[in-house]
Amino acid sequence: MVTVTINVNGEKRTASVPPETTLLRLLRDDFNLTGSKLGCDVGDCGACTVIVDGKAVNSCLMLAAQADGRDVLTIEGLATMDRLHPIQKAFEKYASLQCGFCGPGVIMSAKALLDENPDPTVQEIRDALGGNLCRCTGYVKMIEAIQDAARILRDEPVEINR
Amino acid sequence: MKRRGRGMACMWYPIGFTVSANPSAAVVKIDEDGTATLLTGTVETGQGSLTVLAQIVAQELGIATDDVQVVSADTDATPMDTGAIASRTTYVTGNAARLAAEKAKEILFEVAAPMLGVKADQLEAKDHKIVVKGYPQRNVHIGDVASHARVVMGQPPIGSASFNPATVPLDPETGQGKPFGTYVYATQIAEVDVDDETGEVEVIRIVASHDCGTPINPMLVEGQVEGGISMGVGFALEEEILFDSQGRQINPNLTNYIIPTSLDMPEVEVDIVDNYDPTGPFGAKGVGEPTLVPTAAAIVNAIYNAVGVRITSLPATAEKVFAAIQAKRDAQPKQITA
Amino acid sequence: MDKKPTVAEKVSPLKTVQETPSVLREPVIAPLVTYPIEVVVPEVRQQTPAVGQRATRLDGHLHGLGQTRYIDDLSFPGMLYAKIKRAGVASARIKSIDTKEAEAMQGVMAVVTGKDVPCNSFGPSLKDQPVLAYERVFHAGDGVAAVAAVTEQIAAEALEKIKVDYEVLTPVLDPLESLKLETPGVHAPSANIYQSKIIKKGDIEKGFAASDHIIEGHFRTQMVEHVPLEPHATIAMWDPNGRVTIYSTLGRITLGRADVARTLGIPVSRIRIVATIVGGNFGGKNEITTEPVLALLSKKTGRPVKSVFTRPDEFIASTTRHPLIMDYKTGVTKDGKIQARKIRLVLDGGAYCSWSETTLGKACILSAGPYNIDNLYAEAYVVYTNKTMTGAMRGFGAPQVCFAYESHMDDIAALLNMDPLDIRLINVFSEGSLSPTGQTLQSVAIKESLLQAAKRFGWNGKGSADAGANLLAEENANTNMVRA
Repeated sequence: MVTVTINVNGEKRTASVPPETTLLRLLRDDFNLTGSKLGCDVGDCGACTVIVDGKAVNSCLMLAAQADGRDVLTIEGLATMDRLHPIQKAFEKYASLQCGFCGPGVIMSAKALLDENPDPTVQEIRDALGGNLCRCTGYVKMIEAIQDAARILRDEPVEINR
Repeated sequence: MKRRGRGMACMWYPIGFTVSANPSAAVVKIDEDGTATLLTGTVETGQGSLTVLAQIVAQELGIATDDVQVVSADTDATPMDTGAIASRTTYVTGNAARLAAEKAKEILFEVAAPMLGVKADQLEAKDHKIVVKGYPQRNVHIGDVASHARVVMGQPPIGSASFNPATVPLDPETGQGKPFGTYVYATQIAEVDVDDETGEVEVIRIVASHDCGTPINPMLVEGQVEGGISMGVGFALEEEILFDSQGRQINPNLTNYIIPTSLDMPEVEVDIVDNYDPTGPFGAKGVGEPTLVPTAAAIVNAIYNAVGVRITSLPATAEKVFAAIQAKRDAQPKQITA
Repeated sequence: MDKKPTVAEKVSPLKTVQETPSVLREPVIAPLVTYPIEVVVPEVRQQTPAVGQRATRLDGHLHGLGQTRYIDDLSFPGMLYAKIKRAGVASARIKSIDTKEAEAMQGVMAVVTGKDVPCNSFGPSLKDQPVLAYERVFHAGDGVAAVAAVTEQIAAEALEKIKVDYEVLTPVLDPLESLKLETPGVHAPSANIYQSKIIKKGDIEKGFAASDHIIEGHFRTQMVEHVPLEPHATIAMWDPNGRVTIYSTLGRITLGRADVARTLGIPVSRIRIVATIVGGNFGGKNEITTEPVLALLSKKTGRPVKSVFTRPDEFIASTTRHPLIMDYKTGVTKDGKIQARKIRLVLDGGAYCSWSETTLGKACILSAGPYNIDNLYAEAYVVYTNKTMTGAMRGFGAPQVCFAYESHMDDIAALLNMDPLDIRLINVFSEGSLSPTGQTLQSVAIKESLLQAAKRFGWNGKGSADAGANLLAEENANTNMVRA
């Protein structure tokens, strides 16, 4: 067993887990943070994407022990009691998610992108989502929502067409 | 060199099979705050069907989408449904939900008629109110009627109904008959770049013009079309389960079985054709499956237009397209000398 | 945000945890998840009339928060994890299955094989699919045994300990081989052609005789997986009233309940099936997969049992899209009017029937395209092979035949030197047209969709379908070219 302490969504958590435990299993099974999804367990689909020290990572490819002492942000840490994160709001408004299973991973990839690049081009958004597979939506409404959220986050006046 | 081409494909697709029984049942209950609950045995698998069903019930009752709660997919609690298959939910379950809402509404009308001093058939449900037709100022809030129905009349407004597109077996010899309730139609036009040195195909743009009868929710219709196109792009260019000589799959994973990512998606323009089908709920038919049907054909026709090679087996991988281009090049001098 | 905890901060809880025996360790309490309790309803959801509104989805809010509960997000006290051992051979006789070593493993609570299934067959039309293969294996993804254990890992290890002795048989893999009468039956004594359909309209010989050109086309499509992002998942649990509740990713719970009742040999009243929000279906979740197995494991252990397909399971053990082999022959007049069409479709059905009947029917009915064709003959056959079973998938055969009839249509346009739009406009259905099955069509909008798409795209007519052929011939031509 290894003991892992991570700062998850702003709160320090500790668990003792078998050494082969992935960060995804730690989050889901030990911390009951089930927002991050297991879609393939080998880093192909991106449904498990979380942000570790500011970078979007596939949590199924990272060992829990590798996350020891680091900051981890999951989908559950995006909203506060007062407000949804603008990306979450935009995803709801544009119906960007259909079955929703890829959603938490996509939203975390989008968050990592907008943290680094507040005004991404469509191509940059496509690049950022390149590791997140979605079978329902064709990504079109995700890209629209991320552009909308980026505008709001930049504190620009927003014009929503349609 | 990259060569640009364009190709079109149109299609038809059936909604509501009738060769065997295809029923859906639904229950609608109206509460004293003027909201309603729909019970349905269908399953939300991502299409947005529960939202569409809520809109259908809301429309029938003259309330808003947000006023309808949907309870679904529990064999103990919800009525029988043939399920989330064959693009049938909007059409078949939608008809059942509308009929159930209509029955609950009839109770409201019976209760409201003496409250408004008119006959039940002079009423309509609109903007959260039961209104005397032609006299919008004579109305009662739907919640007050529902409350009156329960507390005073002892007749809670609940409706249940089922819908089954009439079952008609086909002639076994000739296949003649009416196998489906109705059909939807669509055209997609693709623009592609084909690299004639590698055979690689890039889909630049797809224009999709779909008939779904009345679009109950245009945003969700667009979502279906966009998603169907991504699946169609995969079918056209990338996806294939491969087997070894002993019949075992050799690529059963997402590392080697490639589905479209955000980087593979063309620019998509969705266009909804204005249409109305009298047999569907509020004129609606369906849209789920047809969205992917013409995509591969349009892309392959665009490849034909770009480089003049006819790809006859899917997927049109770069290897396959390049081999076809080479074969065409090899054949050309012979044609000239002949 | 680079504040790593200091060593001192880490050492004390680490020591405490390490020194605490694991059985005494306190259960981990989930960290506080915060999300707004006061929900701001998007305005459009509150508008009337409701139909035609761009209303946001009922589940959109929870999706965005990551709070939608899929089956793998549910757990129950004492829950076990199940894994299924796959055959790994496409065709074989099972000589023996030895589960003793697996059963003896610490943490393994139950093992079941095909002999434990009260009625080991199911299917939406033909009941040709075993819940767990027994005696015979029909494709490499067949389950042969299932294990329930206290952890997923123990269950996976236990699968390795199960010994299955196979007599490997020669698989039938090519659908055209399977079609031949002399090919051994995949499900002998049943024939390999297990469904067929014919549509006859008018007189095709007369139609071909009245044509100026006759053109043929041969097309094939591949096997495709649905790839829902959420793999198939099930939780089964019996209650003390003798009822089993099954949480499942099924898209059709009513049929699923009937199949579970049949395979377990219990009345439907003893079964409750609940489908949560399903993470993608596309036709792949239209029938039961592991539900009866999980119910048996739960009954045997008295505990809730969960199983989630691995991604490879999803490929090899769920249904796929039918590969089609399609032969088209069409007679047209010189001005582009279709006089006759003859079609033969062969569907690779894989190991089991599943939804082949529906797929065959739709493919055959739709195969002529949305065109007025007075003289038509279409025949379709679906055959067994020892490959992954094919079943329902978005479009039920329609994308395959559309690929064929629309490719064929452009070949005809090229032959006649017509614009692809024009040849379609000449032949498409209009209101009141008769379909290939003689159905009078209503609300027909094919012409409108063609014209609308062409307008939006900027389709400037009179283009040749195979313009690229000339380009290859004259590598210098400068039309239709883009810099690489």
